[in-house]
Amino acid sequence: MHAPRSNRTMLTFALLVSGALASSCASKRTADLDPLEPGELGVAIRCGRVLTVDDDDATYGPGLVLVKNGRIAYVGPDRAVPAGYPVEERLDLWASPGMVELHAHVHGPGGDINDMVYPVNADLRASAGFVPGNRAIRLACAGGVTTLFGIPGSGTSIGGFGILFKAKTAGATYDEATIRDPGGMKVAQSYNPERRAGDLGATRAGLSWILEQWNEEARVANREGTSTPMLENLQKVHSRELPVLIHSAGSDGYPAAARMWHVKYGARAVLSHGCFDAHMTAPWLVELGVPLNVGPREIDFSTTRDGKITGTAARYLEAGARNLSLNTDSPVVPQEELFLQGAVAARYGADSHTMLRAVTIAPARVFGLDDRVGSLEVGKDADVVLRTGEPLDPRSRVEVVFIDGLVEYDRRRDGQWF
Amino acid sequence: MIRLDLMRRLSFLAVVSCAAFPVLAQEGEKTDAPKGDAEESKDEKKKDEEERWFAILNGDVYAGTGEVLRGATLLSKNGKIHSIGYDLYVPPDAKTVDAKGYRLYPGLVAISSQGLLGNASGDFEDTIDPFSFRMVLGLGTGITTTGAGSGAVKLKRFSVDGAVLNEKIFSTFSWSANNPRGKGELREKLVVAAKFLREYREWQRKVKEEKDLPEPSKRGVDNNMLGVLQGEQTAKFVANDRDDLLGIARLAQEFGFRPVIEGCQEGWTVADELGRAGVRAIVTPRDRRTKDERQAHDGGASIENAAILHRAGVQVAITPATEGVDLGGLAGRDILHLPIEPGFAVRGGLSERAALESITIVPARLLGVSHRVGSLEVGKDCDVIVTDGDVLHYKTFVQWAVIDGKVVYDKEKELFYAHIRPRPEVAAVKKIDAGETPPVPVEPAEEGEKDEEKDGPEKKDGEKKDGDETPPKKDG
Amino acid sequence: MLRSHSFFIGVLLATPALAGGPIAIRVGRAETVAKGVVLNAVILVEDGKIVLIGEDLPVERGVPILDRPSWTVMPGLVSCYTRIGQDSEGGDDFSPDVKAVDELYPKSRDLRKVVEYGVTTLGIYPAGNGIPGIAAAVRPIGETVEEMVLDDSAYLKIVMRSDSASKKRLRDAFKKADEHDEKVKKAREKFDEKFDKDKDKKGKKEEKKEDKPEPKPEPKPEPKPEEKKVAQGEGQDADPESAQEPKAEAKTDKKADGFVPPAPDDKSRAFVEMRAGKLRALVTLAAASDWLHWLDAIGKEKIGFDVRLVLNQDSDMYYVFDKKTYDLEADGIGDRKIHAVVEPLLTFTPNTRRVRNLPMELARAGAKVCFTPRVDDLPNYKAWLAHVSELVGAGMSRETALRGLTLNPAEMLGVGDRVGSIEKGKDANLVFVDGDPFQPSTRIQAVMLDGRFVFGEVDL
Repeated sequence: MHAPRSNRTMLTFALLVSGALASSCASKRTADLDPLEPGELGVAIRCGRVLTVDDDDATYGPGLVLVKNGRIAYVGPDRAVPAGYPVEERLDLWASPGMVELHAHVHGPGGDINDMVYPVNADLRASAGFVPGNRAIRLACAGGVTTLFGIPGSGTSIGGFGILFKAKTAGATYDEATIRDPGGMKVAQSYNPERRAGDLGATRAGLSWILEQWNEEARVANREGTSTPMLENLQKVHSRELPVLIHSAGSDGYPAAARMWHVKYGARAVLSHGCFDAHMTAPWLVELGVPLNVGPREIDFSTTRDGKITGTAARYLEAGARNLSLNTDSPVVPQEELFLQGAVAARYGADSHTMLRAVTIAPARVFGLDDRVGSLEVGKDADVVLRTGEPLDPRSRVEVVFIDGLVEYDRRRDGQWF
Repeated sequence: MIRLDLMRRLSFLAVVSCAAFPVLAQEGEKTDAPKGDAEESKDEKKKDEEERWFAILNGDVYAGTGEVLRGATLLSKNGKIHSIGYDLYVPPDAKTVDAKGYRLYPGLVAISSQGLLGNASGDFEDTIDPFSFRMVLGLGTGITTTGAGSGAVKLKRFSVDGAVLNEKIFSTFSWSANNPRGKGELREKLVVAAKFLREYREWQRKVKEEKDLPEPSKRGVDNNMLGVLQGEQTAKFVANDRDDLLGIARLAQEFGFRPVIEGCQEGWTVADELGRAGVRAIVTPRDRRTKDERQAHDGGASIENAAILHRAGVQVAITPATEGVDLGGLAGRDILHLPIEPGFAVRGGLSERAALESITIVPARLLGVSHRVGSLEVGKDCDVIVTDGDVLHYKTFVQWAVIDGKVVYDKEKELFYAHIRPRPEVAAVKKIDAGETPPVPVEPAEEGEKDEEKDGPEKKDGEKKDGDETPPKKDG
Repeated sequence: MLRSHSFFIGVLLATPALAGGPIAIRVGRAETVAKGVVLNAVILVEDGKIVLIGEDLPVERGVPILDRPSWTVMPGLVSCYTRIGQDSEGGDDFSPDVKAVDELYPKSRDLRKVVEYGVTTLGIYPAGNGIPGIAAAVRPIGETVEEMVLDDSAYLKIVMRSDSASKKRLRDAFKKADEHDEKVKKAREKFDEKFDKDKDKKGKKEEKKEDKPEPKPEPKPEPKPEEKKVAQGEGQDADPESAQEPKAEAKTDKKADGFVPPAPDDKSRAFVEMRAGKLRALVTLAAASDWLHWLDAIGKEKIGFDVRLVLNQDSDMYYVFDKKTYDLEADGIGDRKIHAVVEPLLTFTPNTRRVRNLPMELARAGAKVCFTPRVDDLPNYKAWLAHVSELVGAGMSRETALRGLTLNPAEMLGVGDRVGSIEKGKDANLVFVDGDPFQPSTRIQAVMLDGRFVFGEVDL
């Protein structure tokens, strides 16, 4: 049934191992407790609780986070602050990592997300419409979301390439806010792109054929060492330089997407949505090991028709899913409510702890960002959110948001945006 | 509906309630007995037919008045709360629920909802569907009373009697900057009604002496207005703009009535005025609305709306963005997540106590039924929910819902949520689910457990391979 | 098997039983419904009635015998709630005076066809919503309406929904019945007044008029069903209440000389009769809530009624089958031990794909299940036995299934003393099949109606 893939498997394995080694090196850096020199920017944040969301889920209470030059210099139990650091005494607050959103459409002013002339738009980039610090992004920041993947919509089979950026607020520029552009590819393979225009692409078979043609061209170009503007970024997907986020759902669509991108093409695929009755295929997907990005729909009642209100994230977790992440598909769910997606998933059967990871380190990891964001660890970007309580609880107010060590939102200074 | 006169209605209710007592509930357990099925009917017959006792034991009672009693007993007689406390005598024939480790709260009051009474509309007493699955979901959310039409109705499952608490409490009026003439007309009606009232009271005074004095003419007087001014009806407005809110507040102060304002998005900008006017507000904390940038004043929606209004003395009831049941997949913003919405008001600075009140006693007051529901107090209806945690916490589920001293919802007996963190003693017992016909025809079972398993209420199925209780592996 | 009209008549003429002489039928198995199964059964039929049924009975010489050891015989099927062969539309929502018998068309092709599917008795109800009128129990074949009719007032159909209109309709109907009672009471008082006055006068004149006997009214006989129609047609002489208490009348007869209570008018008659226990209602319900609203609507009225439960795929009716399971305050349908007319349909527990056998559950709860075809048309009559077989396959007992097609609906129609089972003295309505009636391969081989074969290749 599957094409022989022993070679590809070897290559994949090698890449994975080297990737793991690289990231583990990054996360195990030693703390820097030197005093803050003049000319260096930093702050010492002392909090009642610090949730690092690292691989040991270390939590400190009270705890201290030292931020130096935009990175985390120290995170651990409270201690004496090295000289030179201004101190933020916030023992009433909890610190946790800035949240990471892999499926956002709020990078631009809204409405500008689908160019639906061609079924495949591998040459398009969402960043052309990026408006740094727009209102939705500001609200996202106030909601504790600090890293976003702004992508085209799902109106076409390949929408284009999205932009990975940080939710910087006032006065942020493209260069200041962008992490990686293109950040990854956006593919849509269920329902939405099934156009009825009368041309090829009205059926799944047709769509699939168009996709495969493009993908083959990119792979051929890779083998031959050539590159064209049309295929340049798609080639990077096939060389595993860039990840691909695939909108897909249903027990039909979700595994089909996995088969194509994870198994056949061996791409760094992240399957997004997975709603309706896709959770019925959870064991198989987990066995494949393809990362799952659940949301915005998180319950299923009408499709599975067993009378239960099924929490889909819980089902994937029960089957053993690792690095499960959640999304808002903003503005379907307002971007600032990413934390609520975690709360709802926990309500319907998932573990709260795992759901906090699902909006922080897990999405960072599956998109290759975990060297920089997703957890409070030495050497990572100082994207820290201070709240009045548990991050997933709606009752917890966001008080301060640091991005790259700078205060992007402070309720006392800016008013309560959310 | 058949409008039996009061006496016939009361006697009918008496007959029905007398006849209804020897019923076998699913919750006839005492403290440590497994939750399961009923006592045999013999015991029921011995019971005094005039007294129906029910008790919830060992739970932490959050009465909704600020009082918390840990490990207490709530005792109900004939559907009313008889006593709450410790060392209460519970009659041996009382039906009981063991709430050890759980909390008791007043049944929640949804100020407004869609679909929780089935497809009922108009005359709810005639159209209520007490078997609607949406009613079950509403009870599973903890809602025991809902605003319906212009009145209030209980989610009284399994019965069509006594569900309607109140039929017409609201008279809805329109006051909007988009309709200046409407504003004028409204004011005019109030003027006319107020004038009539003054004259009427004058006449009442004078007619004692001058017996022939003619009664002032009621022509042209709007009856709804009259009801509002006399305190028999509540004036309800839907308004969000600052200017409209101010207008309503001033109207209310001028004519002396306390309006209910639904929406009230920009209320935080004029909170003091609203507080002075005695406004009651129905708000959705997550309402989003951008400020009209042409205005110099503050504007737009604010997450702090509820908190600011509350501080100014405005009573705040909270309703979610969608008042109907939404099972399409996007969870967290419909009526089934009513208790999550006040959490956002707390985020905005509202106290936890006021947040709980916003979905219990305040909507009860607005609906004119606070003498019966909205808090757990002696004499009020025994409408209680037993939860596995803080009712405002996002993970809390309702384990049992009780209306008029009768269990009408058990989480483990309905398919909807039974598989989510099942109660420990239930998870241990495998049950055939009610929908499955046994492969070989079986003789009709005697009363008791067997019937229920095959033909009775839906129970969670035996599929525990899904591993609801095993913690998922941690991400690496 | 489709048969043309003319061939059917040919078969009819072929049977010698026209002469009225006895015939015997010997079959391998008889499902009598009343007394269980009889193997190697012999049934003796004469003058349209079952004379005898027993195992291996000897047959007199000279009596024609139909010998079919591979056949099974069961009572003719009774469809108590149907409008097959009728095509009129309903009128207004409150027409309790309308009678289905008035629209019967003896030449209806569908009615004749339905016999081939084993149906020998039907309960035909009037079309329309609300309270459309009174159903009639009929045979499917007859030259005239009179020949067809078994009972022209089988039940009053009432459609009950969870809405204000249904309750108002009922309330108004009972109010009209109340008004009639008032009228009777007043007329009674007036009559008594006058009677007393006359008595006083008579008392004075008694010495003078001893020889003259007091005129006594003839005691009214219990009107036969066929005659009821005529008698009640104009309503002047009918006294529905008098029959209820003959003893009471006898006592007051001396006083009630000549008292003729006013007759109920068209709109109130049915409800007056229901209160008097002379007419039952069949209430159509579509959801569990309808049952509770119905009980609420009739309140303390003591009327006899049965229910017609409309089943759909997601029916929630099971909630009200009995009082105990869901701890209802009101009675469940089964607790009332009434007849429940349902289609043979497997349903789902709402919101799931879990199959339920509601007719089976209903029977277990104590109701007397009566079947109606899934859809009221010929193809569904043809498949009727097959549909009921599905329920048997899903756990319903054969006895319940058989009874639900025969004796229960017969009793519901009020003709259970005449049809519905194979018993001595009942009408010879028989269906002959070539195997287990609840197997899909079984075919109806012959149908006997009132002692005559009306379908089947039968050679005696």
